[in-house]
Amino acid sequence: MSDAPLLAIDRLTKVFVTRRGFPIPRTVSVRAVDSVSLTLGRGEALGIVGESGCGKSTLARVALRLLPPDGGGVRLDGEDVLAASPARLRQLRVRMQIVFQDPASALDPRQRIGCSLAEPMRVHGIARGAAAITRVRALLDEVGLPATALDRFPHEFSGGQRQRIGIARALALGPDLIFADEPVSALDVSVQAQILALLADLKARRNLSFVFISHDLGVIRYFCQRAAVMYLGRVVETGPADALLDTPLHPYTDLLRRSSPVPDPAAAIAMQLQEGEPPSPINPPSGCHFHPRCPHATDHCRAVAPSLVEITPGRSVACHLHAPATHT
Amino acid sequence: MSAASPALSVDTLTTEIRSRGTWYQAVRAVSFQVHARETVALVGESGCGKSLTALSIMGLLPLGVGRIAGGAIALDGEAVSGRSDAQMEKIRGNRIGMVFQEPMTSLNPVLSVGFQIAEPLIYHRGLSRRAAEARAIELMHLVRIPSAAERVGAYPHQFSGGMRQRVMIALALACAPKVLIADEPTTALDVTIQAQVLALIAGLQKSADLAVLLITHNLGVVASVADRVLVMYGGDVVESAAVRDLFARPTHPYTSALLAAMPRADRSSAVIAPIPGQVPTLADMPAGCRFQSRCPLREERCAQRPSLTAIDAAGTHQVRCWVRGGASS
Repeated sequence: MSDAPLLAIDRLTKVFVTRRGFPIPRTVSVRAVDSVSLTLGRGEALGIVGESGCGKSTLARVALRLLPPDGGGVRLDGEDVLAASPARLRQLRVRMQIVFQDPASALDPRQRIGCSLAEPMRVHGIARGAAAITRVRALLDEVGLPATALDRFPHEFSGGQRQRIGIARALALGPDLIFADEPVSALDVSVQAQILALLADLKARRNLSFVFISHDLGVIRYFCQRAAVMYLGRVVETGPADALLDTPLHPYTDLLRRSSPVPDPAAAIAMQLQEGEPPSPINPPSGCHFHPRCPHATDHCRAVAPSLVEITPGRSVACHLHAPATHT
Repeated sequence: MSAASPALSVDTLTTEIRSRGTWYQAVRAVSFQVHARETVALVGESGCGKSLTALSIMGLLPLGVGRIAGGAIALDGEAVSGRSDAQMEKIRGNRIGMVFQEPMTSLNPVLSVGFQIAEPLIYHRGLSRRAAEARAIELMHLVRIPSAAERVGAYPHQFSGGMRQRVMIALALACAPKVLIADEPTTALDVTIQAQVLALIAGLQKSADLAVLLITHNLGVVASVADRVLVMYGGDVVESAAVRDLFARPTHPYTSALLAAMPRADRSSAVIAPIPGQVPTLADMPAGCRFQSRCPLREERCAQRPSLTAIDAAGTHQVRCWVRGGASS
């Protein structure tokens, strides 16, 4: 890409500190996001894949400054998001929004839909009163809901319709960038397809950029041009979504791909009785975090964490198997 | 097929659910058999009646809200439908094992996992507590929970999601039932853990000659582990086939639509085809074919309910559709 990226995340780190243990609690720190660097172009969708606890949701929240970071940088159109003053941050938030997994808990149950959607416009001084209502009507139409939704409450809608409302709210300010955190994971297949088609349509029509978080490789492959795989806070592989899933480079990407069920009896998932579970992020393994589950692990993997290295143009992997040059 | 009676046989089961004082059919004349070492999958979206079918088999329908309105259920050729709660209690956990979606809510948080696995052995088999707990450790080994002897006294919250589901499987299989009903057993798990749990169930199935009824919404899981599939919509079985036939020749418009709506990890797909609308509520179900309101092939005769008709010579691939089923009215 020749032009500057819309979003540039540079070595972003988030450490949670908690006290746990009984009878003597001790302070433990969890590197939920561990020096993650990613870029996103205008109109592009970047998928973030990984299992529970890998830090993908935390990454989105830190990048939006919903959580304070512990290191690294985030730039939106070249502007430093993390250093922005509160007033400036409010202006930046107009341009980047988030859609949550569970719209039932993300919407105020006592607020009518019209109110929920008009509120951000009022807060950001974009429109108020009748003008705001006109805009809300247009928004509802854009996400495929009837104008009668305006006066109704969230509980009157089905899960799919509520997610449409969540999307409408994210669009209310006319953002350039949307973080979508598992937006279709709670939905049935037929409704999931409706929401994915809606998001794809909006993306094309408004030239939106997406950071799309999902554990479902099929959803990522459909929606995203590029994907990044996370494991225990670190990005282990990035590349074009199709290439990454067709020929995974990192052994973890390969495991995810072979464990993902596809509707074809001839391509049954790999059900080897490997016993490994994702280790606790509180006490991650030394070196490469994946080594206890990796069939190719060597002593080098146990000692030294591999860095993310570009193998072919656009494809990077953090694995010693693919970067012999990093051995010394 | 051998003359042996199937481990589980469900014959024209009809289950009704009460909503605002009216009883609605939520499972409509569902029939299937599960033989030893066989996995039959019930697949469909929320509200299609798949879980209600399982609850009906186990006699766990919510009192006053759900009732079996017709049909028969048999275990090993012996009828069990119509039995009292006390009699069903002798069957549940003893002759039918059950695994549910969310192990955290199915396990008692204040009892050790060892005791919970041992409990059915004490209750159904009359084992002493000491003997039952020794057996519980063996069962935890069987489901590959590491260092079982040390963890037998641990509580559910000390286990990860995947390990809790292993505990549920150990509990379900404690009394060596011949039938295992698994209702969305891996839905809450990450894919790599899902693969492990499915592999575990498949392994135990072989060694214990289990008949498995798998309830899932995931056609990918079905393709990986099932032998036969029943696709349900609105309480009706709309298509029933051997797993290979179903995926090679999905015939009911709902089955095709589900497959076309599913984004796939194994191939690049620029297009997915959403199914318009949503599943009607039981009160709003159309008469006749229940999929007609969302079906692109709808015709006038769809106002009558089509029957489940075979579309192959062997009669094992059945479809409930006027247009695709080739049924003559």
